Amino acid sequence: MRGEIVTPGEIVADNKIRMHNAFSQNGKTYSSVLGIKDERTNEIVSLEGVWDPRPEDSVVGIVSEDRGKVYIIDLSYFGRAILVPGKYEKYELNPGDIINAIIKDIEGKKTVVLKDARVLKGGTILSIKPKKIPRIIGKKSTMIRQIAEATGSHIVVGMNGLIWLSGGNMQLATETLLKIEREAHLSGLTETIKNFLDEKK
Amino acid sequence: MGSSANKPKLIIDGKRTDGRDFTETRKIKIIASPLKNADGSAYIEWGNNKILAAVHGPREATPRHLSDPTKAIIKCRYSMAPFSSLSEHGRSGPNRRAIEISKVIKEVFENVVMVNDFPGSEIAIFIEVLQGDGGTRAAGITAASVALASAGIHMRDLPYAVSVGRIDDRITLDFNMIEDNYSDSDMPIAVAPRNNEILLLQMDGGMTKKQMSDALKMAIEAGKEISDVQRAALKKAYSTEMK
Repeated sequence: MRGEIVTPGEIVADNKIRMHNAFSQNGKTYSSVLGIKDERTNEIVSLEGVWDPRPEDSVVGIVSEDRGKVYIIDLSYFGRAILVPGKYEKYELNPGDIINAIIKDIEGKKTVVLKDARVLKGGTILSIKPKKIPRIIGKKSTMIRQIAEATGSHIVVGMNGLIWLSGGNMQLATETLLKIEREAHLSGLTETIKNFLDEKK
Repeated sequence: MGSSANKPKLIIDGKRTDGRDFTETRKIKIIASPLKNADGSAYIEWGNNKILAAVHGPREATPRHLSDPTKAIIKCRYSMAPFSSLSEHGRSGPNRRAIEISKVIKEVFENVVMVNDFPGSEIAIFIEVLQGDGGTRAAGITAASVALASAGIHMRDLPYAVSVGRIDDRITLDFNMIEDNYSDSDMPIAVAPRNNEILLLQMDGGMTKKQMSDALKMAIEAGKEISDVQRAALKKAYSTEMK
């Protein structure tokens, strides 16, 4: 991710173009967030902020309520998240259970409907800024695979910013994940993390 | 605050009491995201003003009945620390002045934050004045907009604010405490720099039409520098040299 940092209200194009995290007015396009303007893709990648849920995202959440037919899931997100078991599905979830699920749909811009849930037994949850999650996964999951191999931990990453860890060298895995969160905007991160893991192992 | 009877001389030999020019602001320094637990934050030193601004959100709106399913609601709390200036400030919760300033600051940001992007949520802005020396609401707005941007909140612009006023016949920029108390007119304004939209305009005292337009021009001219400081602070917090 290379490019210059843009701030809200800064001109990013002298003509009217459709761009993520930007808006047009009077024939010019302006950034609406603090982000990096990627030179190659010509997109603005925001540096901070809340999670923007999209269908088919994999998330990690905690069951907070059992309402009989639906479960309310806490995804540490300002909207609501629900899990509705399908006709042939049956879940036996209790409040406090950690689950990994896929987003089926987003209703009315803020209610997240989940599907394909599975319970994650034991382990701990780590909270990371949602905008840093793509860096933790890495291109074609290279980064997360590298950490899992080096530490022997079982890691499930939710796009909503919650990460579930279990087994292996969890101390090192947590340290590495937090290091990525701190340095997510720097380039050459995979290499840095590789050296960091080799050093600590 | 001050009465004209015991008014001190604010212009001595064509210079202001602190030696500044009439179109000169005090020194402004901003640090973006100094706080770890807030979603976004900023610290500003504007002359002797020292102010911390922090932002929480977008998060679930509480109480629930205040939430709007079509847009985010904005909350703002401006408060002066008990040690910030005169001992009458901040002694027992919000006073009339703090409530008023909180309200006008909230309205400034309702006009620039893209509230429709975060339906049903709330965005809370906290402005804590640690040390006050005149123009705290202007400095507070300037810091809060940096804090909002560093929280990743979608905004149409990065507003700044500055006070401008009149001492005798001279239009003067950025009052300090003594000038604020004894000036003939004092006008804090907040501006969205992209198209110079005015988001806040309050005034004590009076001005003629000509003085008013001169004052606005002076504030917008000074605003360019303030904007640069804001944007530089945000960029510095994320540049590679820093870490």
